[in-house]
Amino acid sequence: MKNTIRIERAVKNITQAELAEQVGVSRQTINSIESNKYIPSTVLAIKIARIFSKPLESIFILEDGD
Amino acid sequence: MKRHILFPYWCRYLGWGMVIAHVPISIIGRMNGMINPLDNPAASSGLFSGEHLFFTGTTLLMTLGLFFVAFARERIEDEQIGHIRLDCLRWAIYINYLILIISLLFVNDTAHILELNLWVPLIFFIIRFRWAIFRLSRSLSRE
Repeated sequence: MKNTIRIERAVKNITQAELAEQVGVSRQTINSIESNKYIPSTVLAIKIARIFSKPLESIFILEDGD
Repeated sequence: MKRHILFPYWCRYLGWGMVIAHVPISIIGRMNGMINPLDNPAASSGLFSGEHLFFTGTTLLMTLGLFFVAFARERIEDEQIGHIRLDCLRWAIYINYLILIISLLFVNDTAHILELNLWVPLIFFIIRFRWAIFRLSRSLSRE
């Protein structure tokens, strides 16, 4: 699963640390999600989507192998 | 979100203190003629004797120390840390049973196998967990 968090952050002009604080995780976790090393839980994915005021599936996109 | 039962963050330091304290206490005990009942069961003076209580105490000190280190909360304990924790625990169980099976097959010393079985999962878990956390922090500093 890929995601557009990095782009959305740039649009909203917030840092990884700020996003991490808003959703209640560490900066390492946001970095891992952005680098596709970690797939977040549904709860965390919804929280992130809410921060950007976007539907979940426009931020987290399933790939062919998923 | 469901919270896992873990010790507070400061317990990690308490745990390391207990592990480190275990070493000189054991050495002093041995210097004063304390014989580990596992090393020589025949020479042991029995259950709840001074020696038995001393070695039970030091073993518990080490085990509880490792337990506190392994299961103390991280500064920010989020879902990724929980995921890493579970992965490291799974590996610790694999390694423990691998060593246990090999020991049972090739070593004729069941008393020390018990002692090994007590510490291997915790020690392996701590090493792998700390290594995973270190790699996570390193990947962040490279960004």
